[in-house]
Amino acid sequence: MLTRVTNQTITRNAQYNLQTGLTALAKLQNQASSQKAISVPSDDPAGTSKSLQIRGEQAATAQYGRNISDGTAWLNTVDSTLSAVSSIMGRIRDLTVQGANDGAMSPTSKDAIATELTNLKGELLKQANTSYLGRNIFAGNTNAGVAFNADYTFNGLAGDSVQRRIDANTTVRVDADGAAVFGTNPGVPPSTDPGTTPGSVFTLIDNIVDDLHNGVNIGARLTEIDARKQAISAQQSIIGTTEAQMDRAQQTNASQTVSLESQRSSVEDLDVAKVILDLQTQQTTYQTSLGVTAKVLQPTLMDFLR
Amino acid sequence: MSSFGTLNTAYTGLVAARRGLDVVGQNIANANTDGYTRQRVTTSASVTAPSSLSMSQTFTVGQGVSVDGVARLGSSLLDARVRLATGTSGYWDVRASTMSSLEGTLQEPGPNGLSSTLQKFWSAWQDLGNNAAVPATGAALLAQAGGLVSQIANGYHQVDDQWSTLRSDTDVKVAQLNDAGARVANLNAKIRTTLAAGGSANELIDQRNTITTSISKLVGGTVRELPDGTNEILIGGNPLVSGDNFHSVALVGTYHMDAVGSDPVQLEWTSRPGSPVALDGGEIGGAISMLAAADGSGTGGPIAEAAASYNAFAANLATQVNGIYSTGANAAGTTGVNFFSLNGALPAALGLTVIPTTSADLATATVGAGAYNGDVAGAISQLGASKTSPDSVWASIVAGIGTTSQTAQQQSTLAGLSTKAAVDNQLSNAGVDLDEENVNLLSFQRAYQGAARVMTAVDQMLDTLINHTGTVGL
Repeated sequence: MLTRVTNQTITRNAQYNLQTGLTALAKLQNQASSQKAISVPSDDPAGTSKSLQIRGEQAATAQYGRNISDGTAWLNTVDSTLSAVSSIMGRIRDLTVQGANDGAMSPTSKDAIATELTNLKGELLKQANTSYLGRNIFAGNTNAGVAFNADYTFNGLAGDSVQRRIDANTTVRVDADGAAVFGTNPGVPPSTDPGTTPGSVFTLIDNIVDDLHNGVNIGARLTEIDARKQAISAQQSIIGTTEAQMDRAQQTNASQTVSLESQRSSVEDLDVAKVILDLQTQQTTYQTSLGVTAKVLQPTLMDFLR
Repeated sequence: MSSFGTLNTAYTGLVAARRGLDVVGQNIANANTDGYTRQRVTTSASVTAPSSLSMSQTFTVGQGVSVDGVARLGSSLLDARVRLATGTSGYWDVRASTMSSLEGTLQEPGPNGLSSTLQKFWSAWQDLGNNAAVPATGAALLAQAGGLVSQIANGYHQVDDQWSTLRSDTDVKVAQLNDAGARVANLNAKIRTTLAAGGSANELIDQRNTITTSISKLVGGTVRELPDGTNEILIGGNPLVSGDNFHSVALVGTYHMDAVGSDPVQLEWTSRPGSPVALDGGEIGGAISMLAAADGSGTGGPIAEAAASYNAFAANLATQVNGIYSTGANAAGTTGVNFFSLNGALPAALGLTVIPTTSADLATATVGAGAYNGDVAGAISQLGASKTSPDSVWASIVAGIGTTSQTAQQQSTLAGLSTKAAVDNQLSNAGVDLDEENVNLLSFQRAYQGAARVMTAVDQMLDTLINHTGTVGL
């Protein structure tokens, strides 16, 4: 008797089929309009876990991108400052060569050179105290107002540096070592021996000025100036290398961002073509079942008994 | 047989046809009544007992038709199958709908979930690492940390609300169960009386079946038919209803999720407090399984497990962040302080608070380094990228809840399908078919006309005999 069909079972089945069709339609419509394959974790628990992980990596990559921009800005500031310092040092060397011509220089000319040297020292000190966003670029993480005080003492700490994280495992130094560039020992001029504690470049200039005033030949100071210029070039090449590293990191970061976004999309987002096709099919199915139901439920024996 | 005997035979035919029409009318009237089972008049031909007194050898004819009763064309097997399927379906429906709203509170995956707040929290640490001792970045971190803490607490509250809502819903369901049980006992008493008096209890049995099915939906259970027409409903092996006796049950246990470990929610017989009823399904069974305490291995009640996950997550976050943060020094040089504090008197998810209140309090620098050093903050920001990060703890919590919910929804769909199949079978057997009833209507109508014609024929015969005998030629 289980195959007995009654009006009630037909009605129920029709209702059930309509309801199922409508539910499927609603789900597909929701998917098509939200474009999300996973709207709640139970849609795909494994995919959800993966999506959370990818979103975490995306956030970290975005943060590394900001770190790289910030670091690049630091490096640009340091680079241009070092260029300025380098050209000032060049001018100082020229003046020293000029002032070393004892026979050709009158005391007045020497005084003029001394005055210019003193001005250049002030300029150099200003460059040494260059800051980026309120922080000294030559003094690590110190919160002192300047990197070099008026008495040429250095405010930075040994081994302290400003680091930026450019990916999960790498940090790079984005400031320059003020001690290596300008020398930290105020009493001693820069030595030609790189092994000793670097003497201050400012003291060196003071010494040259004193020599000029005292009539001492300043030709001997050229070695010290060259040693200092070498130290500055060394720092410039370090900064240049780091900038190149930053550029590479920037590119890696950009391609990483694209790759992560496509991964996220492949986990979370829908295949639009498939959903639209499914939606069309489901709409047709639903309309068919509506039409069929309307036809099937009408006639009974009542319609034919007169 | 006397001449009047045939009149009586025709009369029984009229009566039987009219009863048949009555029943067809009842069937058609109840074509759409929920739980109605179609009925049929059962008739049999009356036989004449051979008379030993009669010496004549004339053969005897039956004496018409007798109406034996009105049969209820239900099948107790199909009814039992419906009850079983409904019980299972009720169990999984409750679990699926509760899990579905529970996972809805997670807001994952998406920009509003805890994972997203956590990522912003790590980014704020990194920004602070880059610009340590800048008040604005410190304030931004503190705001993110405050947001994270309140989102964890909020998530815990939502889980707690789910639990409380389900707990009070279950109270209502137990009240429905007691009400339904009392009504079945009442109907059993009426059915027994009606049957004992020889009446038809079909409609009462239909009513009882409907209520019994609703009891199965609530608690599962098994039903036995008793010889006197009453039934017995057993839950966990003990009778809820037996004939006209009804034993009430009560839902006992705490109304607070935090206390469920020591005071579990369970169904008990009112007459025997302290011993829980073992439920094998039904909505109440599903709800009680959802309301169970967490057991530490992740297999306890899913709601309490979700709450425990929030606590474990909060504790893990505090431990990991504090572990690195306490190595740092703040602007004043103070070291060894924590970032998060956990109030032991509260669940970890609610007891989690941020200790520093201003950016100057933040210990972001490596001890001995410059004041603008942010290495400690940078190291904390890298917690998010580690293998054992709070993020991965959270992801596994979300995946766990998602899996439980997915299982419950699949089971619920399957149970729904098997319930539909069972109800289809039941209705295809017991439902009223209007075409069939129309055909029966016609045949009973014709039978009535036929019986009336027999009666007219006998009447005319008797008229001839009584009024026209001896009036030949007049």
